[in-house]
Amino acid sequence: MTWSWPTRSGRPPLMFIGGLLLIILFLVSTSNVVEFNPNRLYASGGRIVDFLVRLVTMPDWNYLPTLLAALWETIAMAVVGTFLALLVSVPMGILAARNATPHLAVYRVSRDFLSLMRALPELVWALLFVSAVGLGPFPGVLALAFVTVGFMGKFFAEHLEVVERKAVEGVRSTGANKIQVIRFAMIPQALPDFVGSLMYVLDHNLRTATVLGVVGAGGIGYDMVMSIRLYRYDRLIMIIASIFVLVALLDLLSTYIRGRIMGGHHHAL
Amino acid sequence: MHSEFNQLPELPAKPRDWLPVWATLLIIVIGWLSWNLEINPQTLIGGLGNMAQFASRFLAPDFSRIGLYLKLMGVTVVMACWGTAMAFVISFVLAPLGARNLSPHPRIYRTVREFFNFCRAMPDLLIALILVSAIGLGPLPGVLSLGISSSGFLGKFFAESLERVPHRRYEALASVGAGFVQTVAYAGWPSVLQEVTGYTLFVLDRNVRMAAVLGLVGAGGIGSAVSTSLRLFQYGRASALIIIIIATILIIDFLSVWLRARLK
Repeated sequence: MTWSWPTRSGRPPLMFIGGLLLIILFLVSTSNVVEFNPNRLYASGGRIVDFLVRLVTMPDWNYLPTLLAALWETIAMAVVGTFLALLVSVPMGILAARNATPHLAVYRVSRDFLSLMRALPELVWALLFVSAVGLGPFPGVLALAFVTVGFMGKFFAEHLEVVERKAVEGVRSTGANKIQVIRFAMIPQALPDFVGSLMYVLDHNLRTATVLGVVGAGGIGYDMVMSIRLYRYDRLIMIIASIFVLVALLDLLSTYIRGRIMGGHHHAL
Repeated sequence: MHSEFNQLPELPAKPRDWLPVWATLLIIVIGWLSWNLEINPQTLIGGLGNMAQFASRFLAPDFSRIGLYLKLMGVTVVMACWGTAMAFVISFVLAPLGARNLSPHPRIYRTVREFFNFCRAMPDLLIALILVSAIGLGPLPGVLSLGISSSGFLGKFFAESLERVPHRRYEALASVGAGFVQTVAYAGWPSVLQEVTGYTLFVLDRNVRMAAVLGLVGAGGIGSAVSTSLRLFQYGRASALIIIIIATILIIDFLSVWLRARLK
């Protein structure tokens, strides 16, 4: 397929131009649906600037203890949710890895099950869990754990599938059974990748935990919604700043840990 | 012979196994955090019981208003496309400025990268909340918030792709006197065309998922219908909506995997 550039003629490939035209046509024809027109945009621009100007106020320092408690709850939710998911996703990952699964049918079923768990965003699960078990951090942790199993199980399975065959054969040659092969040949090889994925997932879960409160599933999200609804800009600015600092700190930490464990090999996406 | 055997050096000490120590520490920390969150085996088991009972109410999906639901899902997908397009345009312009080897000045490079970091750090839903309260309800704040947050991801990916291009391609253009824009247009983007397409599809996939929940804060799409039907205890409708969301996400997932495989 002529899909790379530069082409022989020196012009961009035909498929590229055609695709681009189709995309633009689609966007223009749907601009009404999303109310994307110059008038609305112009009016919105002014209002956004207005909002941002009002946002820059003196923070309400009396709010600080509540904020820290909410932040703490957010972090705890992310960690506990990730840990619960870890307990389930290691066995799930083994079942869903082509070279470790007991049977090909088990592999297929567990892969499909994992992608079903991943399909819905955390917030939809949180909404469902809130109406099932009530408000609070508990449904939030469940929602995080649920979606995380979907992602982490898939990552773990993929890490197990790329281990070197040599070590597997070496351990098998000593008469090890299937479980021993997984335990002594496959998991040790996949461990650095496991940790990399775990850090990625933890990072993702912390970001998600900050918004779960929007549906009443605990964490700082509830304060966020409330301070916007009540026009408490003095609190909102503190919440935004604290989320930014939290995410930036975790970013640094996970880059450091991944660098130490994976020796500079960065995990894509 | 026997004496020689006795003189063999002793085996090195077995390496100490720290796993039990770390596992104990981890369990203590997690236990303490769970206690903080008031999660214990009792709530966990009780919760699972509630959940099983709750799930049984979802077994009869009510598709009587399927036309409306499909329309809402369509709006959601269109929002995701617009958000992705917006992110693409922003990243297309800014990414060359944020690529270390192309950027005209280190200060510009830093500023652009910090902008991308900021966009990624802010949760979509927070941006959506702010935009909804600034410009009102509807899909437009949803599109803008998707565009802002995903331009953080897309911009970073694009800039990193541009940094991985072999340096000789940029040198070749510099040697014939090309300026910044010419280097980017004739050596930068053509070299990363495939990666760029892959990343854009990945972000589109992500944006469809995000767009499905933006409705919860009034930013258009199917999310508001899910939350309303749950609030009114119309589990049949909620179940139908969720089935539609899952089906759409799986279809888009499948399509983007297929497209990415074809483009390779």
